[in-house]
Amino acid sequence: MTEIYKLPVFGILITLVAFFSAIALRKKIKFVLFNPVLIASALIILVLVVSDVSFTDYNRGGKYLSFFLGPAIVALGVLFFEKYQLIKHNIYPFLLAVCCGGIISVLSVSCIAILINAPDVIIRSIVSISVTTPIAIEISQITHGIPSITAGVVIAVGIFGNAFGPAFLKGLGIKSKTAMGTALGTAAHGIGTARAIEEGHLPGAYSGLAMCVNGILTTLIAPYVVLWIVGSIETITV
Amino acid sequence: MNLFQRSLKILKAFFYIFLFLGLGESIVYFINIPVPGNILGMVLIFLALKLKLIKLETVKPASDTLINYMMLFFVPFGVGLLAYFDFIKSYWIILTIAAGLSTLITLYVTAIVQQKLEKDDRNL
Repeated sequence: MTEIYKLPVFGILITLVAFFSAIALRKKIKFVLFNPVLIASALIILVLVVSDVSFTDYNRGGKYLSFFLGPAIVALGVLFFEKYQLIKHNIYPFLLAVCCGGIISVLSVSCIAILINAPDVIIRSIVSISVTTPIAIEISQITHGIPSITAGVVIAVGIFGNAFGPAFLKGLGIKSKTAMGTALGTAAHGIGTARAIEEGHLPGAYSGLAMCVNGILTTLIAPYVVLWIVGSIETITV
Repeated sequence: MNLFQRSLKILKAFFYIFLFLGLGESIVYFINIPVPGNILGMVLIFLALKLKLIKLETVKPASDTLINYMMLFFVPFGVGLLAYFDFIKSYWIILTIAAGLSTLITLYVTAIVQQKLEKDDRNL
């Protein structure tokens, strides 16, 4: 008998069940740590470890779901177009803010990582921490990082920005809600955007657009920063 | 609009999304530029909407669905952390410091630049 967990349907089913349970939980209890991706991944990891199923077996099905990240990124372009209509009049200050933030993000994370003696593979994996997870995963593949580490850190950054971003910015004297929205989208991508939407429709639009723009910007600059800091884009085998 | 027409509309919307994905992937394949094909697809679909080559209503049913379920699509990468348990155990302090500090710096720089330069639309 073929083991059921070796069929693609196993990975797909367990992911769907875990994800929709996590969504249901999130609807009941509005708490940032109850992020659906975090809860769903933890649930699945628990099941895999307890029932002694390897990630490779799980991913036979899982890869069919991650395939949809490609079209989902294209869909961000449509979102970008919708939001663009709302903020046209402030487009230049907005673009300048996102570019400054995006460049600072890539540079600061790499420099801090070097200062605290992080191995190269960490820099390759987290250079794109501030962009939306699907794009960060793409960048991680280009810079030869570990996409799963990237995904984990990016989601953690989103939750951190969502939970503490607004209070931190208010404490430093940021009064403009729209500036706060742009900052949340640039630094904490979609999960930060979820918080910006709670602050209002317009901050939400700035945040969503900032997430798209920073995704493109970081894709363009991150490989060069890695090249400059680590010395080569090709990886030594880990 | 009956169910059949509605399904057709959704199907057509997905067709356009995949068309732009394919377009992005092919351009990257043939010209060999250092940008992922799906990100090029995102830029192309934005330009097509902006230049009115396609209508927002045509693609919106598919893009809304994909964006709503986007989080589902990266769950497998979250599960992939399983294989890196020891790696994270050794490096979690480094990861936390680098990611945390960098995020705070990015938040502040972005917000202060926009607050200094933007035209006032705070009361909209």
